Amino acid sequence: MTPSLALWLSIVLGSCAQIFLKKGVDQKGAGNQTGYARLLRSGWVWLWAFSFFFATALWLVALSKIELSYAFPLLSSGYVIVAVLSMVFLKERISWMRWMAILVICLGVVTTWGSR
Amino acid sequence: MESETLLRKPVPLQSRSIGLSSIALPWQLAALGAILLASTGHLVIKLGLIAAGHEASPAGGRARIIETLFQPAVIGGLAIYGIGTLLWISAVARKNISFLYPLTALNYVIVSVGGKLWFGETISPARWTGIAIVVLGVALLQLSSGEDQ
Repeated sequence: MTPSLALWLSIVLGSCAQIFLKKGVDQKGAGNQTGYARLLRSGWVWLWAFSFFFATALWLVALSKIELSYAFPLLSSGYVIVAVLSMVFLKERISWMRWMAILVICLGVVTTWGSR
Repeated sequence: MESETLLRKPVPLQSRSIGLSSIALPWQLAALGAILLASTGHLVIKLGLIAAGHEASPAGGRARIIETLFQPAVIGGLAIYGIGTLLWISAVARKNISFLYPLTALNYVIVSVGGKLWFGETISPARWTGIAIVVLGVALLQLSSGEDQ
């Protein structure tokens, strides 16, 4: 696996993980248990945990070859990916104000890490 | 008079939560706590890595990795990060993910400033500019917070 493939897989998988988690915590009526213990019964939450783990592992693989100052600005694309996925799979409505906020945050991250 | 009092029966605080009653924190507290703990975890892990580096062990490879992983500060940092993740779950249960996820960009701000305060790392003018833009973006995000149901 090439380092940049690992990097992009890590970003996409990490974004999917957030969608899985939201699906998991939004599930209703999973027995009488409350709180965190209840979450263990959700397949979505397990999917989140595995995705999170593999995204982290792929991130480490990528970082062993790619410079941090190159990898970090790309990480901010995860905010856009999560926003698009949440529109499609969670039916979240995203106002123009929120899109603008997301783009400004991406710009900020790129500026923070892109200029060495 | 009496009927008015009855009508103004307070709405239960948790009426909008989705049943994770034992992790019923306000989302603001949960989200901020999660971000603060994640940043602190990273900084504490760094503390452990510095400690491991200073011990200058001649062992390389696997022994080196194991030695690093068992640094008390590395274990502590991972534990703090783990508690942050639990708070994050609580926040995600209460608020749209398209709002919450971009908030995690504050990690960059806190870790940068923490690195300066704890480890004397320098923050370049360009990085200060980036930090300011991230904070501006998070402020804009706040303005869109009320739109979620």
